[in-house]
Amino acid sequence: MPKLTAMMIVRNEADRYLERCLKSLSSYADEIVILDDASTDTTPELCASFPAVKLYHRETSLFLIDESRLRRELWDYTAATNPEWILALDADELLEDRAARELPYLLRQDLFPAIGFRLFDCWGGEEYYRVDGLWSPWLRGFSIYLVKYQPHLPAAWPEQAFHCGRLPLAYRRLPYLESDLRIKHLGWANPAEIRPKYERAVGRDPTFKYQPREHYESILWPPEKIQLEKWR
Amino acid sequence: MSAKKVALLTTNFFHPSSKRIIMGGAERYQVDLCRLLKDLGYYVEVWQIGSGWTREFDGVRIRSIPVTKSEYNTFPDLATAFYENSMAFDYALYFILTLAYPIAREKSIAISHGVFWDWPGFDLMAGKPEDRQEWLRRLSIALAGPQKLVSVDTNTINYFNATLAGFYHKWEYIPNYVDTDLFSPPAEEPAGNDTVRVLFPRRLVPVRGINETMRAAEKLTSRYPWIEFHFCGRGHDDNAERLMNQWAGNRERCFYYWKPLEMMPEIYRQADIVLIPSRSTEGTSLAALEAMACGKPVIAGLAGGLSDIILHGYNGYLIKPTVENLVAAIEELARDKDKRKLMGRRAREVALTFNRKIWAERWARVLEEVFR
Repeated sequence: MPKLTAMMIVRNEADRYLERCLKSLSSYADEIVILDDASTDTTPELCASFPAVKLYHRETSLFLIDESRLRRELWDYTAATNPEWILALDADELLEDRAARELPYLLRQDLFPAIGFRLFDCWGGEEYYRVDGLWSPWLRGFSIYLVKYQPHLPAAWPEQAFHCGRLPLAYRRLPYLESDLRIKHLGWANPAEIRPKYERAVGRDPTFKYQPREHYESILWPPEKIQLEKWR
Repeated sequence: MSAKKVALLTTNFFHPSSKRIIMGGAERYQVDLCRLLKDLGYYVEVWQIGSGWTREFDGVRIRSIPVTKSEYNTFPDLATAFYENSMAFDYALYFILTLAYPIAREKSIAISHGVFWDWPGFDLMAGKPEDRQEWLRRLSIALAGPQKLVSVDTNTINYFNATLAGFYHKWEYIPNYVDTDLFSPPAEEPAGNDTVRVLFPRRLVPVRGINETMRAAEKLTSRYPWIEFHFCGRGHDDNAERLMNQWAGNRERCFYYWKPLEMMPEIYRQADIVLIPSRSTEGTSLAALEAMACGKPVIAGLAGGLSDIILHGYNGYLIKPTVENLVAAIEELARDKDKRKLMGRRAREVALTFNRKIWAERWARVLEEVFR
């Protein structure tokens, strides 16, 4: 089986979904490279308790200062594990359970050097995901999360303070296979986290450069305006 | 001596504006044909519609020509630009017949993947007598240019021999193919399960009979608690996939997903009956051959070249795919395990004569005749 290395940046995730994500990743990834961006909780200990994890730790947080440099650091640590494929998931994202059985087929195929998945934003819990406007996983299409490691490709990120993407630019331009495996995103699942997340998002994008204003506003919409579909 | 160069002209292997490729039958055929050409010692490049970008896929360079005009299902600007710009190539392959209009390279071969002008919508585009005449006039020019015309089914050849006579000796019948080692019957019967699985294994588009099949599934799953329907393939757009997901999600024993090609042998092996209920736009379906190679009886629509691979009542059924006909044919096979097994064994036997090695040998002979 081709070697799969997962990579992840974490910061203060101990009381969120990290443990579940690492359990899930451990069921199909050979190694999990984690760069801890100066957590102040027990995140490093939690990571280290998983045998597949290779943990790197930053003393000072870089995420808000220079995300692309942080990404680049993680990429270099990951490349050092001699991966054949690299999976980039966040600490609140889970590939659905059947991934453990089906990923090997994706890793063995030799036509596509990259794999795209659809991401589903769970809302108000884990049973439902959002489908209105830009939240619709069906209409916003696929993004590349899994790539075949190719040492000859440049590992450069766009010069951007944030929203700079998880993978080097060259990898995002590869032709990709669209997989029907879904990514369950739990970042919005806990109602208590929604307002602080909204404030953080708008605070980082006050001129609405990365998302339209309406999309940010839709984060705070009342339940009757929000459209959900059941996760099955 | 350096390798002789072949340029293959197609329309949309990559989506013209993006990195997106959806691997349908035609795309797989193109990848396999390019691999065959490389194995035979040729250098091959693909040309298609696009904004002028160049990409690579499976070790083959893909160039795009910035033209978009299409008339009567022909692409005269694309074909002309290709003709003028591909002089450094020794030979050409026209991946779609109509791409050889209005001019084709001297040492070239054009391919037909089946009649595509038999779907009702085509009548809206070229139904008026003068439009029909213009469409046929262009086709006759497209057929005249290349030295050989390769068809994946006999239906296309018969149509042209009856409609545009005079090209009889140019036509070569090279039916589609299946890797019968990869696609093989299950080693042993799955034990202790009385569920009958019906598989619809292709793009979820109307001409493939998806709507009739969904209705038949509703009827049969409510009639028999032991029947399951699996729809395994992409929609024609994201919304179609969303709707299909909702439809299947609201029904017991109806499932929707798709899988990478590497997983398809397993998907076929788990099925008991496979449906290829096309109404039109069909050649010798790769999916039908793959299902047959896995030892499954196929219920196929009366369209294109499906009658080249399915004999009604022998290795499956060949039906007009109405809801009633589908329900009757599925019911017949679902209730008779022995018949399923018998037809499945015969399907495998027939599939062996469409082995990929035979396809490669036939292509090699035609290439040798023209590319010299």
